[in-house]
Amino acid sequence: MPQYHATSATKGILLKRLFREPLFHFLALALVILAVYGILGPTGAGKPDAIVVTASKIEQFAAVFAKTWQRPPSPQELKGLIDDYVKEEIFVREALALGLDKDDTVIRRRLRLKMEFMNDVGADALAPTDADLEAYLTAHPDKFAVDPMTAFQQIFLNPERHGDKIAQDVAAILHVLRANPATDPTTLGDASLLPSELPLTGTTSIGEIFGPEFADAIGKAEPGMWTGPIMSSFGPHVVYVSEHKAGRVPALGEVRDAVTREWGNDKRKKLDDARLNALLKRYQVTIEGVPGAGADP
Amino acid sequence: MLSKLFGRTVDLVCTALLTCALAAGFSTTTRAADPTLEGSDVGTLDKAKVEKVFSTKPAYSPYVGRNFPTRPLFGDTHLHTAASFDAGAFGARLGPRDALRFARGDEVTASSGQPAKLSRPLDFLVVADHSDNMGFFPDLLAGKPELLADPTGKKWYDMIKSGQGAAAAIDIITSFSHGTFPKDLVYVPGTRAYKSAWQDNIAAAEEFNDPGRFTAFIGYEWTSNTDGNNLHRNVIFRDNGDKASQVEPFVTMKPFGSDNPRDLWKWMTAYEQKTGGSVLAIAHNGNLSNGRMFPIIESFTGKAVDKEYVEQRAKWERLVEATQTKGDGETHPALSPNDEFANFERWDFGNLDGSVAKTPDMLEFEYARSALKNGLKLENQLGANPYKFGMVGSSDAHTGLSALEEDNFFGKTTPQEPSPDRISATFIGNPETGIKVMDWQVSSSGYAAVWANENTRASIWDAMQRKETYATTGPRMAVRFFGGWDFEQADAQTRSPAMAGYAKGVPMGGDLSHAPDGKVPSFLVAALRDPIGANLDRIQIVKGWLDAEGDAHEQVYDVVWGGDRKPGADGKLPPVGNTVDVANAIWTNTIGAPELIAVWKDPQFDASQRAFYYARVIEIPTPRWTAYDAKRFGVKPLSGTEMIVTERAYTSPIWYTP
Repeated sequence: MPQYHATSATKGILLKRLFREPLFHFLALALVILAVYGILGPTGAGKPDAIVVTASKIEQFAAVFAKTWQRPPSPQELKGLIDDYVKEEIFVREALALGLDKDDTVIRRRLRLKMEFMNDVGADALAPTDADLEAYLTAHPDKFAVDPMTAFQQIFLNPERHGDKIAQDVAAILHVLRANPATDPTTLGDASLLPSELPLTGTTSIGEIFGPEFADAIGKAEPGMWTGPIMSSFGPHVVYVSEHKAGRVPALGEVRDAVTREWGNDKRKKLDDARLNALLKRYQVTIEGVPGAGADP
Repeated sequence: MLSKLFGRTVDLVCTALLTCALAAGFSTTTRAADPTLEGSDVGTLDKAKVEKVFSTKPAYSPYVGRNFPTRPLFGDTHLHTAASFDAGAFGARLGPRDALRFARGDEVTASSGQPAKLSRPLDFLVVADHSDNMGFFPDLLAGKPELLADPTGKKWYDMIKSGQGAAAAIDIITSFSHGTFPKDLVYVPGTRAYKSAWQDNIAAAEEFNDPGRFTAFIGYEWTSNTDGNNLHRNVIFRDNGDKASQVEPFVTMKPFGSDNPRDLWKWMTAYEQKTGGSVLAIAHNGNLSNGRMFPIIESFTGKAVDKEYVEQRAKWERLVEATQTKGDGETHPALSPNDEFANFERWDFGNLDGSVAKTPDMLEFEYARSALKNGLKLENQLGANPYKFGMVGSSDAHTGLSALEEDNFFGKTTPQEPSPDRISATFIGNPETGIKVMDWQVSSSGYAAVWANENTRASIWDAMQRKETYATTGPRMAVRFFGGWDFEQADAQTRSPAMAGYAKGVPMGGDLSHAPDGKVPSFLVAALRDPIGANLDRIQIVKGWLDAEGDAHEQVYDVVWGGDRKPGADGKLPPVGNTVDVANAIWTNTIGAPELIAVWKDPQFDASQRAFYYARVIEIPTPRWTAYDAKRFGVKPLSGTEMIVTERAYTSPIWYTP
């Protein structure tokens, strides 16, 4: 730039103005970039790849943002979303050009998941008829069976507190209750978090509180009298069963949602298998044996 | 324009540089394992209320009109399925429906191909997949014009419109199978692809939610993990799909999301305001946050937490997941040197990906007990306690299988499902820091226990909100904890301790205040072992308090124990003993007690000092999952492998505020 100083002052002012001109900055920088790109960039790079951010894409950014934040994005935020998208798009294209998507476990599994997800039929798309559901219920009664239920009171004897006398103490409590049915049972036995009374409750639920052995035994206890001891994993219980209700297979109307869900699940599995088999037909699979390796499934 | 051009050049150069960085960092990406508080008066019962509930002239059955929960509900608030990006990458194949089916007690086939079933059904489950990268098809709104432009698409679209959805679906599947599916049409309405994975998660929860029997919550994990520092939160909806589907889950990636929990709270606020719904958040794995989970100085600004932080956190983060597969978070031996049970399933090597090693100064801001103590300090200074949280345990399993019993442990990730290899395999290995975590260190823990009146979304969520919850490391023990001013020994001898508990005090998660003259806080505490599990060693009460100088202290009291033991001269109760036969992976219930009940009064109460109290229930030693593996697979563990575990439960605290 020293040579300009030798010329007239007016020329200097014009140049200064030019140097301040944004367009000049733009062109100068563009030249530098093009020169650098020309040296470093791929040979034969023609027109740059187009990245078009469509109006519907922008609409989508705004929609997802609004759904996240419960308000539309500000212009600043929307610009951020668009810039980020452009950046991502560039990286993705460059990565694909370099083949970075190949032989990548994460990407392969993601693609497989996407296929499975896409092929999976939504339960809503599978509309079973009543006949389908009736048939399913008849074929799988165990899946929908209503547990046998029992209503009872129980008096717990803590083995720690009774020691060797526990059998005697059980007998004594039974004797009191049978001799005087008006006895308040809650005055007998030991303190416990175990409920002393349960309304009609399914065997499974009883088992979750008292353990499965107790649930089994109480289901067989004679109703209408104090009896026992029935053992749980905690110790002996004196029990009074007020009611048993047998287990049963419900009518479709009672369990329609559950049957629909299970029917759909089965259907989905069958369709998945069918789809895989269909795809498999398009491939010839060769498995080369590895010498010395066992065929351990 | 200019800056854009320039920016593009920068990006081009970066692309080349990043290629190497990506290639180098990849193993970390694939390996990366992944991913509350303020006094509400919900838990406070006054005399008048009690008398209304328990009428003075009782019916013959003392249970008539009873409206408190009689049995704890057990569940998992933190389970990942194949819809979680990293779980899928690890090879998980089970989706939300499989996960829910398994939790309900059905047998399913695990991703590793082996059958899996729980010993007993769970009562509830939150499928909490990572919000980041959850959507398979985020472009869901963009495809419509293309769809209609394609003749096949037009045909399907018309079929669906005219009510032939099922026929269209079959047609679509067939065309997939035959490779004739038009590329542009993945968005056709009626195919699963049209829905995002989030909508699918919601649909699965709606399908399996069975009020009264099994609750399937809608939820997700917000996985803030910048630089490998774990600030993860699980977000749980009280609501049904109609509300939850109005919103997109909050992500951590900019520009849609943020890694700062303050922004998550804003998202939660916006959701509630817009939909009228309710959400809460559960923080987890402070132990992998490298000093950032329960801050006094915020890591994002380097400034002390302010009034807004403490109030917002107290409002939204009601619970902490105090135990899970990636280690226990109650306390650490360095923080609680006098607590002989503090060294439990310890993961203190560094942050989540092992990129930065742990330093001792970080611990205070990572563990639940020290956070509860710092919470008292912050409440003193700022008027709200950000760390007034309740406790739950959960799995964080990435297998779709909430299987956390020692003898039925299906691992944290799919490669950790039962196999002869898992006992000696490496879980996290960072060659730069030398940090290595073995699969055997993964903890078979835990579950969330909730005292809810009903097994419904609303009832369980409300119990979580009022913190009437406790954490277990796997066993389903029933634990009661009540605080009040008038509990007497006789209350521990009644046939129904819970009735006395609710009538005379507040349950776990509640508040005590205004100490009556001359009274000290008294606690009714009871635990019943898992009906198919091991006996109990003892119940302890952990007290934390703030002295007149503003310093925090802690003390662990042995309150009631099994067997004939007397505390020694040092005040410590002798160990319960050990019946574990490691080689055969068995134990006997010949020590400890099946049930423990006691009333305890604080011997060192000062009515002018803030305090919290929580109960810790300790089981007798039992075989750890590694012992079952060694026995069943006939494999040798690596030296140093823990083979025995002391399972436990932590209740939510009860706070005393002067």
